[in-house]
Formats: sequence, structure tokens, C-alpha cells
Amino acid sequence: MNTLTRRVATAGLLALLLIATVRTATADETCNSPYTARLIKGQEQFLHVWVLGVKGMGDGSDKLVTVDSDPKSKDYGKVIHTVSVGGRGEAHHMGFTDDRRYLWAGRLDDNKIFVFDVGSDPAKPALVRTIDNFESSSGYVGPHTFYATPGRVMIQGLSNSKDHGGVTGIAVYSNAGEFVAKYDMPTGKSAIGTGDGYGYDIGINPAKNVMLTSSFTGWTNYMMDLGTLIKDPEAMKNFGSTMALWDFKAMKPTQVFEVPGAPLEIRWNLAGGADWAITATALTSKLWLIKQDKDGKWQAKAVADIGDPSKIPLPVDISITADGKGLWVNTFMDGKTRYFDMTNPESPKQTYEIVSGKQVNMVSQSWDGKRVYLTSSLLANWDKKGADDEQFLRAYDWDGKQLTRKFELDFYALKLGRAHHMKFSAKPAQVAAADRAR
Amino acid sequence: MPSRSPFAPLLLVGIALSTIPPSRAVDAAAVPSLGLPAARFVAASEAETALGRALFFDRRLSFNGTMSCSMCHVPEQGFASTASRTALGIEGRSLPRNAPTLLNVGWLTRLFHDGRENSLANQAWAPLLHPLEMANPSAGYVLEKIAATPEYGPLFVAAYGDATPSMSRVGTALEAFERSLVAAGSRFDRWFYGAQADALTPQEQAGFRLFTGKARCSSCHLVGKGGTLFTDERYHATGASLRDPDSGAHPVRLAADTATEITDVELAAFVSPTATDLGRFEITLAPEDRFAFRTPGLRNVERTAPYMHDGSLPTLEAVVGFYNAGGGRVPNKSVLIGPLELTAREQAELALFLRTLTSPAVETLPAQVRRTDP
Repeated sequence: MNTLTRRVATAGLLALLLIATVRTATADETCNSPYTARLIKGQEQFLHVWVLGVKGMGDGSDKLVTVDSDPKSKDYGKVIHTVSVGGRGEAHHMGFTDDRRYLWAGRLDDNKIFVFDVGSDPAKPALVRTIDNFESSSGYVGPHTFYATPGRVMIQGLSNSKDHGGVTGIAVYSNAGEFVAKYDMPTGKSAIGTGDGYGYDIGINPAKNVMLTSSFTGWTNYMMDLGTLIKDPEAMKNFGSTMALWDFKAMKPTQVFEVPGAPLEIRWNLAGGADWAITATALTSKLWLIKQDKDGKWQAKAVADIGDPSKIPLPVDISITADGKGLWVNTFMDGKTRYFDMTNPESPKQTYEIVSGKQVNMVSQSWDGKRVYLTSSLLANWDKKGADDEQFLRAYDWDGKQLTRKFELDFYALKLGRAHHMKFSAKPAQVAAADRAR
Repeated sequence: MPSRSPFAPLLLVGIALSTIPPSRAVDAAAVPSLGLPAARFVAASEAETALGRALFFDRRLSFNGTMSCSMCHVPEQGFASTASRTALGIEGRSLPRNAPTLLNVGWLTRLFHDGRENSLANQAWAPLLHPLEMANPSAGYVLEKIAATPEYGPLFVAAYGDATPSMSRVGTALEAFERSLVAAGSRFDRWFYGAQADALTPQEQAGFRLFTGKARCSSCHLVGKGGTLFTDERYHATGASLRDPDSGAHPVRLAADTATEITDVELAAFVSPTATDLGRFEITLAPEDRFAFRTPGLRNVERTAPYMHDGSLPTLEAVVGFYNAGGGRVPNKSVLIGPLELTAREQAELALFLRTLTSPAVETLPAQVRRTDP
């Protein structure tokens, strides 16, 4: 993309952003973009699970699995639909378009992006488009986070096609699936800090016009067998150690924070003008708070350990409650699901934990926080092996004191594969009713 | 540096193919092959080399579109993989061996760490079809994919007169490109073959004397009178594949200033059983070849860490230390390997010398080969 074209594309994006009605949502049921419409504040009726195919199991292909999550349904807790997309490409994360009609699901290995229509009939998502130019258009590899902005989907890459290392960037697509622009992650030493070029997640605070990005590792590491990786000192040097703050409208990085040990998921608490974000570092096992100081300058600081960092519990997904007062944290290595009291974000306190599996990765909660869903797979070559390689979706009720198992699906017994990211949906009538009630 | 090499007695085991006389100072920039033996191949046409370059970088030529030759032989990483001990194949499959550099590969007569191939044209097809590497189901599948890719038609016409891809044409085009990856003319070459007396420091010169003397490196990493690859192209068991068993605890770097340890017990759930790598034996089934691997050349070695066939040694200092200790434990270890009793200073000098083997082309080649214009 030449400079002029990029300017035009950027201007178009900004115009859309400026005219859009920004919902000052606090957090949604699973931490969607604040630009996402139709948050489900009642009962989620369907869970869409993005599943990694396993060679020799079923059709061996990645697939979108839909589970009935309505306790009033006769099919509650059952798989009601699957869409196989063909082949294995390291299925990973998903994200809705701003109108919540389409669900974009990416693969970190072959860079394919599958667009499912979940608006027409959420019980039966339909594959309507496959985007296969992410790498050729941007030079990035590993489409990870899909983040809705008005009329656009921002896609955070993890790697690049030049050397499969961690230097990468953000690609912007229109909702129609057309490549619009690309933005490299900050690299090198400059007035805003020292960028390492790595990327992982995106989190936008519309009111402050700031975007946060985090950093993980490149294809060579996230595709490597974890047992091999941990023992490879060269490879272990190649993890991100920064977060970047961007001027969102200008799409320019303005500040780079040093956050050692691969900061991953970014969750904003926007409730009541709180305006702070929290992340967890995978390798150093800490919670980091990003917040403005009394002078209005954004600062990042470690505020709590997660388990015993010397044991590498490997915090993975986190999910913030709608009021910002609680945070679920999964730690993959020890299979624990932990709850932190975030009433004082400067000093989070772990108040609850259970061993929820032999390995556990993703966590999603309902808007009211009463239902919590867990899945098991981290990355195909990072998952445990043998008997420890459980692959599940587990659904719980949360009463503020303990998790109570409601149902469980064994994705290996069902010949589905490795269960990864979850997104909720509901029947159009329910969504419309919710809209009217707002 | 005198006009005649003072090390002639040490070079009798070397090969002597180059015609470059070590009699006058040479501008290395003008002679990027300074120090290499005379090539035994005829330079390919520009058209054939250009076709080979396009094939080399084309990720579409792997089964799932994620791998190309250049993803394991990364130009900016010395045409090797320096980001991990061993390279990764399709779907992240762990490969058992370190990806060797392709710099000056055109001069080699045996390829792969076990020497199982004898030409680059033949070798090129092995990764394309290996189920753990690029994983194409057949040669015909690859050729059909190339034939269906419009931009290849003119490249094949320019190289071979018509647009039809074949196994032979794909192999020879890749061979042509790889033969163009010439990277000599190092400071050592300027000193040794170019008679530039001040090209090496006294410490580096001392390192070279150790290399060809007390440290016995040149027993296998030959230094020829008229040019050298720094390899005898033979197979030796150094014990690198059978080093001491793990202690049970592994240091793990978590961040720049944070590390911990993880035990084998804690890692047990993540470890797949791996087969012992028997090296050259897997090709010959000769007992004396067990655990033996081809001697690698040392040109540009500074830029191709980690080292040994399994990438198990992270630095040149570690390699020197490994050999100084007499190599690893292996039943049929080469008689050429034994404790060297080098002092710490001598080991440092040896490592300094190895760093003089870096060609200026290491810096310039990546940009040249990644260019998209003709």
C-alpha cells in the first residue's frame, strides 16, 4: 500500500470512527470491543467454540462448534452444530464485527480468516467468507485478536512472513473483508520508549482515545513444542516485553511501557470512569495495571503475583467482571482457575481458586458474572500430552463464593478436537428485546 | 603478514584449488569469493538464478502455504535459523537437526548433516516432499501448483525457453540461486589469502595458530593453501549427540533479568519421546558411522549460532569449551578428538579467530536476494 493510499484509507477509517456512536460499555460478557453492538446482558443461548482439528480424530479439521447454553433448552449442554473449515491451521481467537452479525475466526499458522454469519441463525452459523490475504497484504503472520471498530475489524498479528519472528503489526479490514491498512508495532529506541515490535492483544478506551497493545512471540515459538521451547535458551529470548499506548484516532504509538515476560490479554475497566486496564504476563506470572497517574500520564506497574512465579504457572486468559471489581485468571500449567478481587486495582487479592482441569486456557463469563465457561487448549504444540491432554468445555455457575459445575463436554470423546476460544450469541428475538430494554 | 604464508607446514592436509595467489594485497570488496577454492561449477544464467530465487522465497510451495526454503534458511540469519536450536517444519513440527547455512553451499559436494545428497538440484526436493518440512504430497502436486501460478510462466520461459516446470528445472533453478550465495572475502581471507598483514589482530592471529596447531581444529576444518571451505566433508562422531544426560533441572529464561528452573518431572507432560539421531549411520548402516555427522564449514560461523548438528551449543565459546574438554561421550568417538588443555586465554583467542571468518556479504546479501525488481 503506498503512502497516499494509506492516508486515504486511514482518513476513511478515522471518519467512520468519529461519526460512530461509541457505546461506553464497561465490559461485555467476554470482553468484546466497546464498539460491539447487542451485548448479551441476559442468558447467552449459544456458545461458539473455535476448535483445533487433531490429525486422525474425526475429520481432522478445525471447526466452529456451537453448544446450546440455555438451561431452559432441551439441548442444554449439547453440541448442536458444527462447521468444519478444512485442514488444520492453528485455530485460535475470534471476534465479532461491530454489528455482531459476523464472527471472524483466525488461524495462527496458515493465516486464514473465516467469517461466519451468526446473525441470521446463531444456532447454525454459516461460513460466508474466507479471507486468505492477511499475510500477502500485510506481511504479518498469525492473525490473533479480532477487534471491532466502526465498520472495520482490526487484526493484531503475532509474527511476520520474513523470518517467523515476533516483529509484527495490526492489519485493518473492512467489515466486507477488504484489506484497508496496516500499522507496524513500534520498534527501536525513540522518544516514546523502546519498542520490540511484538504484538498480541488490542484494547481500546474510546473516551480517552487510547489503544493498548501487548506482546507475545513469533511463529517459531508459538508453533514449537512447548517442552522443546522451554529448554531452548535461544528461543526463550524471543518473547515480547512491552506494551504500547496508541493515539487511537491517529493510529500512532505514543508511549511504550516495559512489561517483562510476555503481557497477553488486555482488559479495560471503564465502569464509572475508572479508566484502567489490566493484563497478565505469561512468563513472569504477574498482573500489571495500566493507569493514569495524578498528572494524567499513563503508567504501567506490576501489582500482584499470580501463583508462584518461580513455578511458571503460565497465566493465560483473563476475564474482567462488568463492574471491574473481579478478574478471572486461568493458569495453564497447574490447571487452575483463580479469582482476584480488583476492588483496589493497585493491590489485587486472589480470593478463590480451583483446579479446573489438567490444563486450562480460556475463560468467558456472562455479563452478570453468574456463569463462567472454561476451555482447555492453549496451542496445538503447547498443550500437554498423554493423559494430561484433556480437551473440554466446562460450564459453571458462580455465586460469588464458589464455582459449581453445570455441564461438561469432552471434545476428544466427541471427536471434535482441541477446544479453544468461546463467544456467546443469542436468538435475534432475545437480542432485540434486550435492545429495547436499554 | 609476510608475502608467503608462515603456516605452510600446517596446511599440507588442506585442499588447494584456488588460483588466487597469496602474493599481493587484495581488495576483498572486489573479490567476494576471496579465499574460496575455485568453483567446480559453471555459473548459471541470470534468468535461471532469478527463477530459483522466486522459488526459494515462495511460501505457497509448502502444502499449507506457510513454509518456504527461506523460512528455515533465513537470509538475515546467515541463511540458517538462529532463533531456535533446531528448525521447525510444517505445523511447527520439531525437526531433529539445526538448519545449516546456505552461504557458499555451492562448493559442497555432500549435503545434509549426514551427507545423503550429492547435488543441490536433488537436495532441493527433499524438504519439499518431507512430511515434517514442507509436506507436499507428491512432486507432481508441486509442479502442478507452480504451473498454475501465473508469475512463474515468464520466469521458466526466460530460464529454459518454455513455461513447463519439471523436477529437473525446479531443482536446477534452486541450485543456481543457492550457488549465487557467495560469502567469503572475510578479514581472515584478506590476511591469509590477500596478504593484508593488518587485517587480523595479534590475538586473532594467535587464535589461527591454535586453530591449526594445539587445538587441532584444522584436522577436520581444513585450511587449503589456495582457498578453503574449512571442512574435510567427512563424517566424525564428536559426541555432540550423546552428551551427558540432563541433570533433571533446566534453567529457563522468563525475561531479561528473570530466570527460574524447571524439572524434568514438571516438564513430563510436555515431552514427546524422541528417537536417537544416529547421523551418517542412517545412510550407510556402517557401525563406524554411528553418531557421525558431516564436518560443517566455518565460514561466517559467527552468524549461524546455535552450533552442532542439533544446535545444542549456543555460542562459539561453548563450542571451543566442548572440544577443549575432549568432546562428548560416544562409543566410537573420532580419534581426532580428545582433551586439548587450552588455557582460558587460548580458548578466547580461538573464538576471536573464528569471528574473523565473517564475510562482508553477510550484511549485503539479504537485501540483494530479497529485492523484488529484476
